[in-house]
This record gives sequence, structure tokens and C-alpha cells, in this order.
Amino acid sequence: MVRVVLSLTTGRIAAGILGLIALLALLGPWLAPQNPLTTSDDTLAAVSGAHWLGTDHLGRDVLSRLLDGSRVSVLGSLEVALTAMAVGVLPGILSVQLGRVFEWITLRLADTLVALPFLLFAVAVIALLGNGITQAMLVTGVLVSPLFYRVARAATLAVARSPYVEAAVVAGASTGWIVRRHVWAKVLPPIAVALAQTIGVGFVIVSSLTFLGIGVQPPAPTWGGLLASDLGYLDQRPWAPLAPALLITLTVWASNLLADAIRDASGEAGRALAGRRRARARRTAEADPVPSGGTR
Amino acid sequence: MRATALATTLAALLVPALSACGGDASAGAGSGSTLKWASSYFPAHWDPVVSGSGAQFRELALVYASLTKTDSKGDAVPDLAESWKYNSAGDQITFRLRSGLTFSDGEPVDATAVKAAVERAKKQKNSALFGDLTSIESVDAHGLDAVVHLNQVDYQIPQLLGQRVLQIASPKAAAEPEKLDQNPVGAGPFIVTQLVPGTKVVLKKNPAYWDAENIHIDRVELTSAPDASTVVSGLRTGVYNFADIEPSQAAAAEKAGLDVFVQPGFNASNISLNINKAPFDDDRVVDAVRHAVDRQEFVDKLTFGRGESTDQPFPKGYTAYDPESENAYPYDPALSRKLLAQAGYRAGALKLTLVVPAEDPQAEIVQSQLAKVGISVTIKIDKNWATPFFAKDLTFSLYATTGRDSALQTLTAHFGPDGPLNLSSPYEPGGFEAAVAEVRRTPLDDPGYPRVLRAATRAGLKSKALVFTYSSPNLFAKSPSLSDLPKNPAHIDWTGVTLSGSR
Repeated sequence: MVRVVLSLTTGRIAAGILGLIALLALLGPWLAPQNPLTTSDDTLAAVSGAHWLGTDHLGRDVLSRLLDGSRVSVLGSLEVALTAMAVGVLPGILSVQLGRVFEWITLRLADTLVALPFLLFAVAVIALLGNGITQAMLVTGVLVSPLFYRVARAATLAVARSPYVEAAVVAGASTGWIVRRHVWAKVLPPIAVALAQTIGVGFVIVSSLTFLGIGVQPPAPTWGGLLASDLGYLDQRPWAPLAPALLITLTVWASNLLADAIRDASGEAGRALAGRRRARARRTAEADPVPSGGTR
Repeated sequence: MRATALATTLAALLVPALSACGGDASAGAGSGSTLKWASSYFPAHWDPVVSGSGAQFRELALVYASLTKTDSKGDAVPDLAESWKYNSAGDQITFRLRSGLTFSDGEPVDATAVKAAVERAKKQKNSALFGDLTSIESVDAHGLDAVVHLNQVDYQIPQLLGQRVLQIASPKAAAEPEKLDQNPVGAGPFIVTQLVPGTKVVLKKNPAYWDAENIHIDRVELTSAPDASTVVSGLRTGVYNFADIEPSQAAAAEKAGLDVFVQPGFNASNISLNINKAPFDDDRVVDAVRHAVDRQEFVDKLTFGRGESTDQPFPKGYTAYDPESENAYPYDPALSRKLLAQAGYRAGALKLTLVVPAEDPQAEIVQSQLAKVGISVTIKIDKNWATPFFAKDLTFSLYATTGRDSALQTLTAHFGPDGPLNLSSPYEPGGFEAAVAEVRRTPLDDPGYPRVLRAATRAGLKSKALVFTYSSPNLFAKSPSLSDLPKNPAHIDWTGVTLSGSR
């Protein structure tokens, strides 16, 4: 699957951008040319050799703050996506396999969670548990989980009615065996698509919360927080919001692009593409046998 | 040919449409005598007893009048009361109300209404004014004479019972305080015609206001200001013609041809310390913080040079400002480090948590300044900050006051044993109580009053609980079509203000 995704142009672009963002998250604090928290008298400075993206209202180096802030945004969005997947997938599969009572309960739960506005809920949780991005993202992940629940359930429903699953049931196979042997493989591709999409959604949520000053204790930098503070000084640095806004947009776009690529790779077209690649590889191998004893 | 015709048609359609979207800030024609005020202090409560004496009193003053108001010197002058007189002992004051006045619901403005207002402020469960009226024992109503009995000699009462503390609502409307909270009924210069909670209020001129002949604005549209960065655009395009603005927006407002001005006021920000808790129970640590504060950095970075550094809760030149106390703890990071070392803290060993209600660059400046002397500060945002702050449970916090009309009230609020802004209650600096009593005993027109008042300020500033930092400017921008406002400190007074096109 990975190879097929990477064979697509969209997949390569998405993987490239997301790989770069992941690197920033890993190495950002070390790549930052200056201490992102150190204030100076050089406030709202223009772009210069000393400050590639200028300085903010307290004289801090904006590039360093962007690099340092990438980790919070990336980890926050991953937390949303992984929590949502962990909470949503299994009940989605089991809602098809475990009978009507479980199905009814989980469907109503999913409906309830969908009805809750996750941004407001995250703010409420922060008010209750204290200002931290971890708890906010965990709760948001739970609220986003109905997406995974529905995707997993839809995929499982399609498989559950197939003749080979019915044959397995007649043969006395257990629910666990059926899920592992037949359902899992069918459910994985749509879940991968949902996961990539949710990472993008997670970025938007993290950025929205930090834009509002929620979830992160100052002076810790975040992309959303930088965007918010830059908007207060548009007259002095009108171009300043571009950098954090572009990073957020680019990351969300790359996540959606990756989701598209996974969808393309896992559908009929993807299978055909993979088949063509295998056939081409076979033909190449048959046409160009490598002679034993050496190379040309 | 066809292209030219198309361009002409488009121009004919678009130009008027775009012109309508834009507009000239100075054009008063479109707004007539309508004041369009964008306020970042839009009141959540319109019951003055609940709203309290914070910055929102300026908006409530559109609807409510009070016994007194202040003039350009900050001194009490008649409002609903045409005069007042103390008894010889100084423990009773009689306010004589203007005759023939009514609230906007037709109820008479008399001493009974004053008595009801005071009692409500003292007794209503959710009153934010209870602590301000401790000197008042009771009020007797005799027609237009409201006799206020005091439990101590206190010549501050006319100064106290002004717009900040006793805006008077119709007693009939106030019988249902919850309804009054979103349906204000007063005897002020304007009457509310529409109120959308938290968003917008529309008012019309009150012809029954005692000074209606000097109110030249017919209509007010008060709107909760959107994001600070969009206010100037709103002013420029004529959506508003008056707004408070952030210092960072002042240059843009000036460039747009708007009148930018600073209304005098009593704003003062401080670092609040709780000396009942470690490490501030050690005087050397308190002094280390005092000497670690570079006030000018607050002025430069937060007010763009438009504010002032201050180590007192009053502006320079004000009666209560004490020049003798000026710069008592100058910025001296070396001394600060030395004091910390004497207290047993090596660099980085002292760790503090600064609790604030919201993200605030002021907190980040404090953090960075204290880091320079070796104090490590973690900023904690607590959305429920008000509860522990006013319960005096916090150790280290920030507060900013917009002041009070009574200088003594400002002093007791900050330095008194029960002062709401004294994080170290019940601590009070030595000699403060006696100095306060002396101020209360001194009539406002006594030649010795300024000296006595400054002595009280001096005594208060000995407090270890507060480190004043800077005074943010009361910065406003207005359309040139709006005439200048009276310079009443901390107030927004619409008396005599005109809009082009109106009288």
C-alpha cells in the first residue's frame, strides 16, 4: 500500500510535506537559531539577517518561535487522530458483529458525540481540568471518533454480507477470527484515509484553540498563537501572519492530499495501478536476466 | 466597442456600490447625530449594582445618572443632586435632589429612589458594590432630601457616590433586578430602545434628563467591539465614529485621518504579591522583586510609548500622587540578585507560578524580567482566576485597575486590610489606618486635604503586597465629525459633545 501511495504524484507531494513537518516537530527546537522565549528591545523588527522572519511584539525571534511551536501542533493533531481512531474503530466493527443491542447503543452514542461542538467542549474541559493541550486533544479525539466509527462500520457491513464471511459463520468461525481474517484487511484502507483526514482536522483544531490562547501556557509558542498575536500588529508587520498561516494551510492541505492518495491507491484504480506495476516489474525481470557470475 | 460598453456598464454599477461600502470617516452626513461607539468593555450587566465600579460604568452612564459626577479636575460636582451639605460632626450628609426629574419609566427621581439604590447596593445578593459603601449606616428619605447617616466621619461621600459607585436606577424597575439587568431604566442622558445582550444596545436621547439641553447627540449605537485589529477599519469606513483602541492600532488610526486621543484616567497595573505565603513572607524576596521591575519596558512594549511608568495607583499631577514616594524602589537587577542571595536563593532556585486570567503579554514581561535576576516564573492561565484572587488564595498575580473617583477608595481597595485588590489581606502597612482616618476626617475643600491625602498614599505605598508597574493609556479614536470630549478623568462624558450636522 505504501509503495502504491508513493507511486502517485499526490502521494509523493503529501508525504514530502508531511515528512518535512514531522522533521520540524522532531528537530524544530534544535534548529531554532535563537531562544524562542528570550525577549529583546528589538520589537516588531522587519525581516533581516539576524531575524529571518522578524521579531514579535516582545522582541522574540519569530522563526525560532515557529520552529519551536511546530511540535505542539503536530503532537496535538496526532493525539486527536489517534484517540479518535482508538475510540471509534473497534466499536464500529463490533457494532456489526455483536448484535442489535450493542449496535443500538453505539449508534446512539455516536449520534450524541457528533452533536457536541468539539471546540466549545474542549474549552469547557480545559476550564474544568486546567489549561493543557493534552486533555483538550484527548476529549476532541473522542468527539471526532464517530467518523472512524462510521467508516469502520460501513466497511464491516460491506464485508459481513459477503459469501466468504457467511461461509465462515456457517463453518463455526468465531467473531474474533472473522474480524482478524476477513474484516480487518477490508477496513484498514478506509481507516487510513480517515486517519489522514483527521490529522488535518486535528491541525485545524489545535490551531484554533491555540489561536484563542487555549491549551498552551504562555510564553510557549504555537502556530495558532503566533497567528493570533501577529493579527494584533498588522499595521506594523502586515506580512507577519503569512508564515504561520501558510504552515497551517500547507499541513492541512498535505493531510487531505495524503487521504486522497490513500483512497486512490486502495480503490479499484489503485489495485489496477499496483497490478500494472507488478506486471511491468515481471516483464522487466524476464527481459533483462542478470547473468550469473557478474554484472554488465 | 463592446468591451468599452461593458466596462462603462460595470463602472456605472460598481462605483456607487463600492462607494457605499467604503465611506469617509469624516462624513457625518450618513450618521446624522448618531454616535456609533464600538466598545471593548461592552457591559455584561446593565444593573449598576451588579456591574460594579469597573470600566463598564462609562457605558452604563449613558443610561444612569448619579448623585454627583466629576469635573475635569476629578472633583465631585452636582449631577442628580443639585447640592449637598455635611452636618457639623461630619457623620451625616444631606443631598438635595433637583426637582421635577423622572426616570425613563415615569417614576420620580427623589430621595426614596436614592435610599432604595443605596440599600440595594448594600443588600442585594449579587451586589458588586457592597464593599464600597461601608461608611454608610442608613439613608433617610425626606422628599427631595436624602439624608445619609455615616458610621464614621467621612468627607469622601460626595466623591464616592458618583458614577462609579451609585448610578441610580428606577426603584420600580429595580424591584425586579434580573429584569433590570437587561432592561436598564435610569435618569441619565439616554434611554435604551433596544438591547441585544453582549452585542449591541441602541439608545435615544432622554428629553427628561436634567441637562438635556447640553446633550447634542440624538441616538447612540453602542456595539461590542470586534477584534482589536478591525476596529480602525470600522472607524475608517464609518461603521463606528468612536471607539477605544489598542496602542498598537493608534498609528493606523492616525494614518487614516482619525482623531486619536488619550482620555485622562487612573489606570494602574500592578504585580500582586501575597506576603502571607512563601517566598514573599521574606521581605528580602519582596524587595528583590521590587528592584527587578523595569517599568519602562512595559511602557515601550505594551503601550508603544503612549502610557507611563508608575509606582503609584495615581497619575503624576493628581492630588493623591505623592512625589516623595516616587522611585522608592528603582530598577536595580544587581541589588535584586544580591537580596535573593541574602535570602538564600541562588540563581534559578526560586520558582514562582504567576497566575493570570488570560494570555497577557504583561505576564511574559514579568517572567522575562524576573528571569534576569534568577527567578524562574511559570505562567499559569486560570479561567477561574477571579475566585482565588479575591479569596486571597493566590501567591503571585497581576491586576490592573481603572481607578476610582474617590482617591481614598483607591487607596483602601489596594492597601486596606479588606481591600479587594490587596492579595495579602488582612495585612496593611503600618500607619495606613491612621492616615486613612485622617483623610476621612478632612473636608475635601480643606486647604490641608491634598497634604493629608498624599500622606495616606505614602503610607499605603509602604505595602509589600503591590508593585505598581505602568499606566496604560485610555486611548480612543474618533471621527473628526465628533467634537472633543470633556477631559473628565476616567469618564466618558457626552455633555456638550456634538456631531457634524447636529446642533
